Amino acid sequence: MEENEFFGEKTFQHYCAEFIKHSQKIGDGWEWRASKDCSDGYMCKTHFQVKNGTAVSHQGTSAHVQTFLPVEEALDPPLDDLEVTETTTAAEVIKYEYHVLYSCSYQVPVLYFRASFLDGRPLALKDIWEGVHECYKMRLLQGPWDTITQQEHPILGQPFFVLHPCKTSEFMTPVLKNSQKINRNVNYITSWLSMVGPAVGLNLPLSYATAASQDEGNVGGQGKKRSLCSTFPVAKILEPLLHLAMSPLLAPAFIKSAFISDRLDTDLFV
Amino acid sequence: MTDDKDVLRDVWFGRIPTCFTLYQDEITEREAEPYYLLLPRVSYLTLVTDKVKKHFQKVMRQEDISEIWFEYEGTPLKWHYPIGLLFDLLASSSALPWNITVHFKSFPEKDLLHCPSKDVIEAHFMSCVKEADALKHKSQVINEMQKKDHKQLWMGLQNDRFDQFWAINRKLMEYPAEENGFRYIPFRIYQTTTERPFIQKLFRPVSTDGQLHTLGDLLKEVCPSAVAPEVPMPEVCSWLPTWLLASSAEGSHLPSLWRDWEEDGPRLSQQGAENRRNQSPGTETLFWDQVVASDTENVLCLNSRDHPQIHRMVGLLHQEKSA
Repeated sequence: MEENEFFGEKTFQHYCAEFIKHSQKIGDGWEWRASKDCSDGYMCKTHFQVKNGTAVSHQGTSAHVQTFLPVEEALDPPLDDLEVTETTTAAEVIKYEYHVLYSCSYQVPVLYFRASFLDGRPLALKDIWEGVHECYKMRLLQGPWDTITQQEHPILGQPFFVLHPCKTSEFMTPVLKNSQKINRNVNYITSWLSMVGPAVGLNLPLSYATAASQDEGNVGGQGKKRSLCSTFPVAKILEPLLHLAMSPLLAPAFIKSAFISDRLDTDLFV
Repeated sequence: MTDDKDVLRDVWFGRIPTCFTLYQDEITEREAEPYYLLLPRVSYLTLVTDKVKKHFQKVMRQEDISEIWFEYEGTPLKWHYPIGLLFDLLASSSALPWNITVHFKSFPEKDLLHCPSKDVIEAHFMSCVKEADALKHKSQVINEMQKKDHKQLWMGLQNDRFDQFWAINRKLMEYPAEENGFRYIPFRIYQTTTERPFIQKLFRPVSTDGQLHTLGDLLKEVCPSAVAPEVPMPEVCSWLPTWLLASSAEGSHLPSLWRDWEEDGPRLSQQGAENRRNQSPGTETLFWDQVVASDTENVLCLNSRDHPQIHRMVGLLHQEKSA
């Protein structure tokens, strides 16, 4: 179909492929799924998180979910270990699926996700909201229906939660402009996901940033940057701060402003 | 486009005679009578079924009632699809009325979006309008509107006010004189035969050599399996004739009756069935539940209120009826 000059579907697929290559290197679990007719597809990842804090209501109605604590990604024990060594029951482990699709209407990527307990009971929108990171909460509380809503997955046809895409190009444009200015390769998907993911519990290890900014064939530079990633424990400690800086041209203040209502216009619909 | 007022009105006022029956396993204090209602094609189930809900809740206890949902022949009905679309996809080849089953428990989480309030429907509707404008005008027209205009669009739909709605919608349907049309046509093609809920792609209204694209061009480009000439098209719904016939009060064999649908539903259903039985072979009479193809071009389930080709089809059918 029509290729857009700014961020067309082919470009999207290219960045996803690069992103997945790196994910495979570090075992981060992202993969590409083609639609049945193979005309398009999406990137997806499943991971499990332990709910921290208050008890699950035994009727299985909406559980109170604290702010997400990612299970240590590289230190993920296999799931049966988790059940043996901790007293958490199956009901407190939540399975998250994240899907990255392309919107041809807005010509940007869109993050779809859903969450369920291990027994298949889905999490309600209310639980999703409660688990949203603090710095995004203000915007959400003003217009909850407009930022994360339940929608039909355009390829699978099933209910998913979605982060609305209409503001994406607004906050991504400066990233891309700046990267062009200083002649630096930026993987659009990496930058975008590093900004929107944390709002819903999806964090990217630091190594994506260094992988994204490597020029192809810059072997000398690669060696130097890899050593940063290899000091793993250090990276882990700094991770919550560093993933925000992963789009290094973005000041944390900009990220904050993209998601807090005083910056955006009052029209809260997508 | 907007000088085709008659066609716009016909699209807006399209109705589907429906019979709502409570699911047999719901717990009731006494027998629940079916409820008859004329559903607007352009609206959404959860927006127009307050009366249905109240009717059935009268015979149920509060503790047996949770979120309402609807089903047709075992398929949960997606409230976020326009009613006309649901009917065309699932029931247009069956006899009217459309028989829908009402549920108050066991909400099918894997199939249906939740609809806890009217706000959710409004957000969904506005989201669709905005996405369409992103395609038509790069969102310029919708973003330049004030909040009260957005509200007016929604209220027009909610309260079935054609003039109120179109006062705002006409701005979304305009394009600059120097262009030949919108930037891209906002369309979705729904089929029951695919896992994918719909096909949506970028498609320009004008070809590179300046020719206006037709519906046929669109289909050939994005859904070629629907246009193979030698193959019958079960998934192509001839919704146009069905709703036209159901919505008009003019044709002699037609519902001036529909106005009384809500009272006379059972009697009219029987009458329709009788009319069909009595039809003599070879007549050109159009019955409201028959499929009519008046053109070699395919008519499809376009979720679009205003495509030029639809207007042409409407014109042809009007001619046939008065002949």
